Amino acid sequence: MDDTFFDKKDYKPLDRVDGRMKVTGAARYSAEYTLPNLAYGVLVGSTIAKGTIRSIDSKAAERAPGVIAVISHQNVIEVPGYQPDATQSTEPKVGGGPLRVFYDNKVYSNDQPIAIVVASSLEKAQYGASLVKVQYNKEEHITDFEANAGKAVVAAAAKKNPKSPTADYDRGQKDAFQTAPFKVEAEYVLPTEMHNPMELQAITAHWEADDKLTIYDKVQGTKTTQKTFAKEWAIPDQNVKVIATFVGGAFGNGLHSWPHESAAIIAAKQVKRPVKLVLTREQMFTMVGYRPRTWQKIQMGATKDGKLVAINHNSIGQTSVYEEFTESTLAQTRMMYASPSVSTRYRLLPLNVATPIWMRGPGEATGAFALESAMDEMAHAIGMDPIEFRILNYTESDPDKNMPWSTKFLRECYEEGKKRIGWENRKLKPGLLRDGEWLVGYGMGTGTFGANRGPATIHAELNKDGNLVMHCAITDIGPGTATAMVQIASNTTGIATEKIVFHLGSSEFPNAGLQGGSSTVNSVGPAVQAACNALKQQLITMAAGKNASAFGSAKPEDIMLDQGNMQITGNMSAKLALGDLLKQNNVEKIETTQESKASENGKQYSMNAFSMHFAMVHVHPLTGQVRVKKIVCCADAGTIVSPKTAESQMIGGATGGIGMALMEDAVMDHRFGRYVTKDFGDYHVPVHADVPDIDVYFVNKPDLLADPVGSKGLGEIAIIGVAPAIANAVFNATGKRVRELPITPDKLI
Amino acid sequence: MNKNKTTGKSEEEENHESRRDFLKTTSILTAIAVSPVAVSKAAEYNLGEKINHALETTPVNLTINGIKKQLAVEPRSTLLDVLREQLNLTGTKKGCDYGQCGACTVHVNGQRVLSCLSLAIMQDGKQVTTIEGLSKGDELHPMQQAFIKHDGFQCGYCTPGQIMSAVACINEGHAENKEDIKEFMSGNICRCGAYPNIVKAIQEVKNGGQKI
Amino acid sequence: MIQFQFERASTVKASVNAMVNNGNARFIAGGTNLVDLMKRNVMTPTKLVDINAVPLKDIQQKNGVISIGALALNSQVADNKIIQEKYPLLSKALNAGASAQIRNMATVGGNIMQRTRCSYFYDTTLPCNKRQPGSGCGALDGLNRMHAIFGTSKDCIAVHPSDMCVALVALDATVVVAGPKGERRIPFEEFHRLPGSQPAKDNTLQNNEMIISVEIPDNEFNKNAHYFKVRDRASYAFALISVAAALNMDGKVIKEARLAMGGVAHKPWRLKEAEKSLVGKQATEEVFKQAAEIAMQGAKAYKYNAFKLKLGPNVIVEALKNAAGLV
Repeated sequence: MDDTFFDKKDYKPLDRVDGRMKVTGAARYSAEYTLPNLAYGVLVGSTIAKGTIRSIDSKAAERAPGVIAVISHQNVIEVPGYQPDATQSTEPKVGGGPLRVFYDNKVYSNDQPIAIVVASSLEKAQYGASLVKVQYNKEEHITDFEANAGKAVVAAAAKKNPKSPTADYDRGQKDAFQTAPFKVEAEYVLPTEMHNPMELQAITAHWEADDKLTIYDKVQGTKTTQKTFAKEWAIPDQNVKVIATFVGGAFGNGLHSWPHESAAIIAAKQVKRPVKLVLTREQMFTMVGYRPRTWQKIQMGATKDGKLVAINHNSIGQTSVYEEFTESTLAQTRMMYASPSVSTRYRLLPLNVATPIWMRGPGEATGAFALESAMDEMAHAIGMDPIEFRILNYTESDPDKNMPWSTKFLRECYEEGKKRIGWENRKLKPGLLRDGEWLVGYGMGTGTFGANRGPATIHAELNKDGNLVMHCAITDIGPGTATAMVQIASNTTGIATEKIVFHLGSSEFPNAGLQGGSSTVNSVGPAVQAACNALKQQLITMAAGKNASAFGSAKPEDIMLDQGNMQITGNMSAKLALGDLLKQNNVEKIETTQESKASENGKQYSMNAFSMHFAMVHVHPLTGQVRVKKIVCCADAGTIVSPKTAESQMIGGATGGIGMALMEDAVMDHRFGRYVTKDFGDYHVPVHADVPDIDVYFVNKPDLLADPVGSKGLGEIAIIGVAPAIANAVFNATGKRVRELPITPDKLI
Repeated sequence: MNKNKTTGKSEEEENHESRRDFLKTTSILTAIAVSPVAVSKAAEYNLGEKINHALETTPVNLTINGIKKQLAVEPRSTLLDVLREQLNLTGTKKGCDYGQCGACTVHVNGQRVLSCLSLAIMQDGKQVTTIEGLSKGDELHPMQQAFIKHDGFQCGYCTPGQIMSAVACINEGHAENKEDIKEFMSGNICRCGAYPNIVKAIQEVKNGGQKI
Repeated sequence: MIQFQFERASTVKASVNAMVNNGNARFIAGGTNLVDLMKRNVMTPTKLVDINAVPLKDIQQKNGVISIGALALNSQVADNKIIQEKYPLLSKALNAGASAQIRNMATVGGNIMQRTRCSYFYDTTLPCNKRQPGSGCGALDGLNRMHAIFGTSKDCIAVHPSDMCVALVALDATVVVAGPKGERRIPFEEFHRLPGSQPAKDNTLQNNEMIISVEIPDNEFNKNAHYFKVRDRASYAFALISVAAALNMDGKVIKEARLAMGGVAHKPWRLKEAEKSLVGKQATEEVFKQAAEIAMQGAKAYKYNAFKLKLGPNVIVEALKNAAGLV
């Protein structure tokens, strides 16, 4: 097997193909399209967390200059796709569905959108929204997680299917923990965290005809969004066009369709004008999902020589009262280590809050905080180096699925990471290292995420100028999708990267799934490969058909493509530019549409990406300030298609992990069910000064069982394991174990 | 700029003129012009959107990316909203609208400021430079080139603000070392986490010594 | 944002006159706090008077004081050579606050006038006596991690958010204000007030008065001054606790000391008793700890800010150690 996907000697990391547009301000995001007669929408949110709306007084707003309409459940047009209450559980222990905005007078969470004010300018719409007066019949809400944890329930999926990943799981002996020589038993809490991408969620909705809708929308899937709104308006899929050419970050909150999108579409229909709606930063906390607050308890048992004998892992995550949200918090615990006995229990707590949604690394990142902290606690209890402890419990096959790994190079990550972080400087006993006034500590955390390849289709055409142009509906929220696809295409066809264009972000283009779950390169990449190979075949056939030339007499298997030319192995003098070949055949372009299907190998192999994060921290003993001084990220993600953007993605994940570990915390005042940290002033995310040099290492060995490109995905494992690495480093520095994130100064003094 | 097909005048010119005409002929309202009361009165009397607009707005002269513009703005309009919604200069981004993220950073008279907390009316007579005005035609500014080279962005949304801030950071003399850069760039949040690459880009431009 | 009248004033007199008979008018300079509050409907002035054209930007030395114009920008003051040399504490405190962009906009006067960042003050649906007198204090029994431990009342436990003001109160600054009856001078410590039963009033400035300058007397604190700020991230965040420490040293002996805290009270909190305890003593960690203990007398914590009782003295000690060169 070749070491790398890019085995060519002249291969150079490619700059982002959309870089120029991004650095000049030319890239257009969802709120930046100019449409004739555009109106502006601003949402009015509820100010209670549960109850019913008694009345909405919109007179003052309607009288205000420039206000075109105030739309609420009182005057909304019919939305044909809204399902009536019978299928929409209002007190769902389980199940339920997305909030139907303006459907009725019910309020399920604070700042739920209850009206939209549409006006001729943004300022007028904002002012109009401030004039809407609402009266409620207030009911007692439940938002306090800790006080209501006893009300947690089994997920609907688990009730329906005992094999669901959220179902109760047991292997080995039930009492293995009780009888273990060394025990760690601890509870871990992850607060509610907000995706908070830099771009505010925005949609511009335009009904081009009564049954024809175009939306410029901040989403992670153009095709899924198309289907959602086609269904909501009972129109054919092809009548809904979804444009998301540039997406200003998302981290998961574009994986669901949200009430504000429906509201803008309703408003545009009702006022018969295109409507632009941009959420406020506060509304980003209440209307577009979040990483749910999660309580976890781990019981871990081991022998004195460091063999795990049992892990029991329970978790409760919050969801809304109208829609069930689940994530794979416990998946890693079942497959990461060779523990003969493992039990997991996953529960949900419905509260009067909005529905959560997967946030980068989703449940795995939450679960890894508990599991990897507990591993560190156990290593400390036994008196063993935490890397040694993990290697002792390394699994050569998946103990959950009882299948071999497709590939697993985590051991390489341990070894390389150790060297790069300077692990030899670490002391086994905490609190011994100092740098001036600061305590110094080292920690590590492991991450894993499934390599989930889905179907994708590419349309590719090569024109007579030798340019290769591809189209796909996939979105790009920042990882550099087009850049990676251009590199795959260049590698497959030998055409120079600057002659290749990859268009994405429109439902008009061939099918692709969501950009989420680290599944883009391993799903779309193979489709690009397939399309390029199909074009190559057409070219070879075309060349072989030219009897007069050297290509006509060459064997097809000897014909190859390089640097935009067709060549014959062993006959370097025969050389034909691809564009010229088309011209000679009087062909403007050749084209193909190729679909790549989801992988079937998952039935025989457990396919996962792995990561290992190392952190070195300084902790100020008197003031509790933590400074992350260095992070090393090691990833076994299969083929690294685009080294430059892949490295950036890892750096970004580590930065997100610093936020998770040290500062991110959406705090709610349960008397009101309202967040009190709801902007960038109160909800802290890392700034320049928080982020050290981040060293990235890729194993870069292809996993061809996962997909033909050999990629296993990167976006999630970039963050999974970072927070526990930092928490473990803080323990190593101070001897203080913080089990409730974030680790703010007050928790360390 | 949208030109009216019959008069050949831009919308802004028309608004400005309709305000002037209106004020010339309606002396009662002149006395209370630009007060909220007058505006809501105008709305109640159904005087029409155009007259409303004339009443609500005030002329402002700005030089944006070297081009002189006469605009009609409401006193409450921020420079950010005027750039994005009136002038279609959408390179300047809205990330929080409260001065907490730096995505809206522009240069006013050469200084980096937050356009979301700047009322447009207060910039009368000033020089505004946005990301669209940073490059010289097709030739990218060295900072833009360095951001591409060092991959100082991912989703690209904070990028214009980072670049405008980075140029100013060097010009202010706050880019002497890595720690300085990190401190004086901390007003620009990047949620994708491109910080180390941004710092590299700034160091390269700083060490390159070009006049920027 | 509501609509408002907008006027420009280019002299102090015109500015003050523009306020007469309009209790709901406000001056605007940098706008970094006021525009934010107006966007969120926390403040709804019906008239703004733009005072940027008033010539109050200069920083000048005269008769034993340095006078900083009210419209001098935060960045201009922080980068000013005289300030850096003679009043480094002020420069350090300024650079510990906000971001480079905000410091390029915010003025000295505006910084002094900035309002609390209490979450209950900012959310118009929640109770707050400062925003809406009589509605109650949301923070008192609420989420008060960021809140005050000194000088609180049952009506308000908000803190003043400024870093600059902590340095100014430590350096015995004077606020010079102009009103219809002429100028008056307010010692910095008396400028901001405690909430008492009237938390809506942040300070002692009258509505028709404007700050025209801040004066700092010459001092010998420039060699041993430090501003230590602890916050939830490394930069661009409000203080959990900050301490301005300035010492006038004769060898290892402290001749004079200045200490003030931020993030602990409705006003920048001067620690005069602790200062006195330092005078004549050797600069040692033990002495600093004793001063810190004195400084914390009378502190009172609420449900979520008890950590400030422990963090406070530690930050005082750290600030003093840094000021004395012991770190």
